[in-house]
Amino acid sequence: MLRRLSLLLLLAVTGFAQKASFTVGWSVYAGWTPYYYLNKAGILKKWADKYGINIKVQRFDYAPSLDAFVAKNIDACTMTNMEALDMPASSGVPTTSILIGDYSNGNDALLVRNGLQMKDLPGKKLLLVEKTVSEYLFDRALTINGMRDQIKKVRLINTSDSDIATAFISDTSASATVTWKPMVSQILKQKGITSLFNSSQIPGEILDLTVVRTDVLAKPDGQKFAKALAGAWYEVLGLMSAKSPGTDKVLAGIAEGSQDTLDSYKEQLSTTKMFYTPQSAVGFGSSPELKQKMDLVRQFCFDHGLLGANTKSVDDVAIRYPDGSVQGKGDRVRLVFDLSYMQMAVGGKL
Amino acid sequence: MSVGFFLIHAKPHRTPAMLLSWSLFVTGIALYLFVAHARHRDNPEERVTPTIAQMARGMYDAALKPAEDDEQAASEGTMVERFRNSMLWKDTKATSRRFIYSMVLLIPAVLLGLHMGLFPYVGAFFLRFVLFFDKIVALSLLPILFIAFGIDELAKVMLIVIGVTPTIILDTFNLTRAVPAEQLVKAFTLGAGDFDTAYRVVLKQIMPRVLNSIRLNLKSVMLFLFAGEMIASTDGLAYRIALLRRHMGMDVIIPYVLWVALLLFLVDLGMRVLNRKLHPWFQES
Repeated sequence: MLRRLSLLLLLAVTGFAQKASFTVGWSVYAGWTPYYYLNKAGILKKWADKYGINIKVQRFDYAPSLDAFVAKNIDACTMTNMEALDMPASSGVPTTSILIGDYSNGNDALLVRNGLQMKDLPGKKLLLVEKTVSEYLFDRALTINGMRDQIKKVRLINTSDSDIATAFISDTSASATVTWKPMVSQILKQKGITSLFNSSQIPGEILDLTVVRTDVLAKPDGQKFAKALAGAWYEVLGLMSAKSPGTDKVLAGIAEGSQDTLDSYKEQLSTTKMFYTPQSAVGFGSSPELKQKMDLVRQFCFDHGLLGANTKSVDDVAIRYPDGSVQGKGDRVRLVFDLSYMQMAVGGKL
Repeated sequence: MSVGFFLIHAKPHRTPAMLLSWSLFVTGIALYLFVAHARHRDNPEERVTPTIAQMARGMYDAALKPAEDDEQAASEGTMVERFRNSMLWKDTKATSRRFIYSMVLLIPAVLLGLHMGLFPYVGAFFLRFVLFFDKIVALSLLPILFIAFGIDELAKVMLIVIGVTPTIILDTFNLTRAVPAEQLVKAFTLGAGDFDTAYRVVLKQIMPRVLNSIRLNLKSVMLFLFAGEMIASTDGLAYRIALLRRHMGMDVIIPYVLWVALLLFLVDLGMRVLNRKLHPWFQES
């Protein structure tokens, strides 16, 4: 009996050992919550089985998910283009973007009290999570309005994203805030608050990606992992965008991943430009626009010291684009935009 | 030495005892260096485990260069001037200010505990509520704190007060209760009034223990202070750590954490010395 049991155990162990195992981390955001559904509905398992690998899905808070990715505890992770550049890429963890999921098209916003105008902001208190996409949006908002030299005159108060909504609503001495949805929707429900600027005015600059460590992709099993992710991703996005009676059920299933209601989730999707089809994502990824926008982002990161104190030049953390061109030093490519997995999805080759 | 080496009766000599007490430090540092070295060999741009040299440079910059936003204080002047314009000094000053406020606010807590223990009506009024309040996890009430106290200094200090004072009140209360009733009777027979007894007999003798209890709560004070600074602020040691975390500035974070540990150790030491100076008659039982 004992022998048979141990034999079984041995079989089980070797069975697992033969299958390569990967982990993908995600955090709550309209464009990333599909990962919850991907996992729950068994779609990812189906694709993983097709390629003979195991894929684990793990939910994180945003900042810890980045830490885990940089520490190489997980193989793939959802993050914005800015964080992909200033967290893993600049920490010497070469990173490849395999899926361009969406861009923020109004999800991030600069909100003010009492009908203030852009020109009134200098000298006022502004709540935001410093050194993130929020500060980038603020920087861009003032630059576009020709107030670049006034940026330093606004008193930024670093406020944690979990408390920013209550902090802004209850503290009337803070005149403005930059944050993202769902906090934006929550704050806008209050009286006397207006939106001065939002991310739909800088389309395509705040990208939401799925990235994989480049060294994972170098292994054959890693390629299978990326293919399985791409396959499952576009299957779910297809379900989300289908105009059929079942769509709402899928969306509700996704909303459940962030303890959200269907209506609230739909509202968030309305300000998220999802690339529902692989064609649209490839189209954006191969356009010259991507390079222009990434250039703005990398300059911002460098100016704010986000690329690390030891990075002397913005070109030290280089980016390679699908057409083979490189922004920065050719021998220091740390972030790669790879369209091949999305292209395979276009051609149905997954 | 050989007999009863690991037993209660063992009497380690000075040198081995000294070596033993440092061995865990050495092991910890060696382990860190080993891991850091391995990670740096694997990835020269590694930022999670900075080398000693990187940390030294990070700390040097923090201690001698101005915080990013006030550039008017350029890198000129003597070392002392430069240190006083630095990011480290600015953060330390902000955090210390909040720390001192909250320590001052602990004085009423001690007095309240004393009165609760001595005056039955005060005790009846407060005790149940403080016992209940002590079990409230202050951090989960943040939204209410914001509404009541704004998001400035007051909210941060109040977070500490709400988090730490109930413990101090209850501790003082218990210490007061532990004073033998005979002493109170004796004080009254010798002609002391109520407040003479409270302040000159009871408070006087529980004071060293109260100070000890505050000392043991220093870490909670710091924990709440850090939580407050991470939630909303523009300066402070925890603000800097929260900010640096956003781009893995571990080369500054690790020295900052050690700096905080050193400051806390010094405060603790200071209070211990003060306690001994003020109450030379007090023997730790």
